[in-house]
Amino acid sequence: MIPLSSYLIVGAILFVLGMIGFLTRRNMILMFLCAEMMLQGVAINLVAFARHHGNLHGQVFTLFIITVAACEAALALALILMLYRTKKSLDVSLWQELREPGQEAILDLDEPVPELPREEPLPHLTPSGIAPPQKREDSYV
Amino acid sequence: MSDPATLLWLVPAFPLAACIITAFLGPVLLRKQSHWPTILGAACSFGCSLLLLISLHGITDFHPQFHTNALTWFAIDNFEVHFGLQADALTAVMLVAVTFCGTMIAIFSSWYMHNEDGYPRFFAIMSLFLFSMTGLVLANNFIVLYAFWEGVGLCSYLLIGFWFTKPSAAAAARKAFLVTRLGDAGMILGIMLLWLHSADGTNFKRSLDLNEILLRAHSSPYVTTACLLLLCGAVGKSAQFPLHVWLPDAMEGPTPVSALIHAATMVTAGVYLVARCSPLFVLSPVAQLVVAIIGGFTALLAAAIALTQYDLKRVLAYSTMSQLGFMFLALGAGLRDGNLIVLAASAAIFHLFTHAFFKALLFLSAGSVMVSMGHVIDMRRFSGLRKVLPTTHWTFLCGAVALAGLPIFSGFWSKDLIMDAVMEAGESTSPYRAIYLILLVSALITAAMTAFYTFRAYYLTFHGEEKIPPEAFHHAGEGHSEVAHPAHAHGEMEHPKNFEQSMAQKLPLIVLAICALFIGLASVSLWHIVAFLGRSTAFHVDKPERHTNWLMMGLSTVGALAGLVLATWMYYWRPGTANEVAARVPKLYEWSLYRFRFDELYGYLIIGPLNVWAQICRFFDAIVDGIVDLVGLSPRLLARFLQLIQNGLVQFYALVTIVFVTAFMAILVIWFGR
Repeated sequence: MIPLSSYLIVGAILFVLGMIGFLTRRNMILMFLCAEMMLQGVAINLVAFARHHGNLHGQVFTLFIITVAACEAALALALILMLYRTKKSLDVSLWQELREPGQEAILDLDEPVPELPREEPLPHLTPSGIAPPQKREDSYV
Repeated sequence: MSDPATLLWLVPAFPLAACIITAFLGPVLLRKQSHWPTILGAACSFGCSLLLLISLHGITDFHPQFHTNALTWFAIDNFEVHFGLQADALTAVMLVAVTFCGTMIAIFSSWYMHNEDGYPRFFAIMSLFLFSMTGLVLANNFIVLYAFWEGVGLCSYLLIGFWFTKPSAAAAARKAFLVTRLGDAGMILGIMLLWLHSADGTNFKRSLDLNEILLRAHSSPYVTTACLLLLCGAVGKSAQFPLHVWLPDAMEGPTPVSALIHAATMVTAGVYLVARCSPLFVLSPVAQLVVAIIGGFTALLAAAIALTQYDLKRVLAYSTMSQLGFMFLALGAGLRDGNLIVLAASAAIFHLFTHAFFKALLFLSAGSVMVSMGHVIDMRRFSGLRKVLPTTHWTFLCGAVALAGLPIFSGFWSKDLIMDAVMEAGESTSPYRAIYLILLVSALITAAMTAFYTFRAYYLTFHGEEKIPPEAFHHAGEGHSEVAHPAHAHGEMEHPKNFEQSMAQKLPLIVLAICALFIGLASVSLWHIVAFLGRSTAFHVDKPERHTNWLMMGLSTVGALAGLVLATWMYYWRPGTANEVAARVPKLYEWSLYRFRFDELYGYLIIGPLNVWAQICRFFDAIVDGIVDLVGLSPRLLARFLQLIQNGLVQFYALVTIVFVTAFMAILVIWFGR
């Protein structure tokens, strides 16, 4: 019989690992996976307590958590995809615009964001002909 | 159509419809044709007024009167204010003058304003004014009357400030509005007082119906107060002595506006109010005396100022004040002594009627001169225009003889009637008859001065060597030079002989000139206007009768002729004389030229102290504001620190959350684990 504390320790380790990963990684997919890991740590806790108390409350909660996590994964990956399409990078430190006006952006000097090659701009057509005349209004009163 | 009640509704309805059409369609559809709704509306309204007058004239009843069904405007508890119209002789005469002058001036405006920006706006406000003015005259209830009274005040404000980009015009509009508002405050108090005392104590369902109040008026201590308060409103609106300062400044507006609002119609609303309330006023000899003194004094004062003014429009403005003073003098001369009250009030209204025609004519002629001279209005800068502007010259002369009161022309009949009324007041048994005799003498002097300044303006403008200011050639036939569209600015006239070319300019002048000459004679001899006015419901007197006072006629003729001869001598036969006379009495001349320094006096007595008080209030307000701001500042200082953690970095937010949740948990554990 494995004691309750062992389960709790595993859960706590998973949670803390996830937390540390979330705080230190800049890749959005990895951050998302870390968040999932924290959820799993919580789920283990719940299942362990369910077994300890001898009822199904914790297991029901866990099922809910897994369902919600599945939906969240779909949404989060879709969002990450959109963000990637905009900036061509998964680095989360590129998304700092939602800060107080006047605050400096925080740059990681040890590991800077790699520069992406700029795309060639599309060619422009030279405008031709004469600008059309615009009717002048005398009075708007 | 001929049903009188329908006519009563139609008279204000036409201008209102014109106003709405012009206001909504003017800027988008009508543009330079915006004058048509106003002209047609005013003309239809004039037709209805004329029908009304004729049908009232035909009724042989003692008090001919029409009224519409009263609609309930609003009700508070069991106090109801009705909205209804009524017309009697007084109303009908006013309506005819207002709508006829309105039509003529609208036609003239279509020429005068044709190059202005805001052409539709001008005509929309003009229609609104005609609506308010006819409503004011037709109102059968003090509250309705007050509402329309404010309506004409608003239109006056809007039209004085028509060129609102010009600072002087904006200031003049504000001044007119504030000064008349001062009077209106008194008027609303007077109406409240009347309401309070209008019914016997037990009946709470009091009404403000004009007829009810006026017929049940009885002598009691409140009457004098109520009359004086109502007089405040009348004095403000009609630019009488203490509140007269706004009228000369109101000349900043376009000249047709000066003609319609500040000469022919709106300023006479005060006279109308006092005439309408004359059953109340005769109950209080003191109030009547105040009316007469204010009128007589204003007439003299304004005439004295008009003697030396060089601005043609200002001369006419002061002349308007002076003539309104005559009307008030006549109203004040109405004493409850046989048929005197009816004679006096009819004299005032008759003078109002003739004055509307000749003063509108004089203003329109001045407008014609002004536009032709490129908006130069200073009489020193042009002269000898009788060859250049032949039509205007003749029409101005017609207006001048009517205003001066030369025999058989309009002004003569009505002014004579006023003198007659004042003289009878002086001969009555009233305790104040000596004062009335003094006022009579001052009125005679004023009449002579009227003839003098009118012909002074005439000679300065149309006689002497021909002199035309250079502006006339640049802006001939143009709109207001400062706001005229640059695209038209180079439309030069090759010769000033072409100044008068438009029918819209000449037709109103000619029609009004004919009226100015003969309307007085026609009204007296053909239509018996005095007896007709005497049958109006406001003047409840049994036997209105008119007798000819040869002495008064002779005296006023002599006075007018003396003024005319003096003006001719000083400005036509020997043009240098005026300067010699001015040099002989420099103090007197200067005071007249600077309008007896009323503006400066009010500046020191009222505006100065009010400014100081406003500065004190502002200082106090700054202190209170500072305290309130201090309270508002503290959250902002706190936020200055908190906003450091709002740096947009997701991981930082997560870190902050974790740190604080951990701290919270630690506290909980320590707290409960003790």
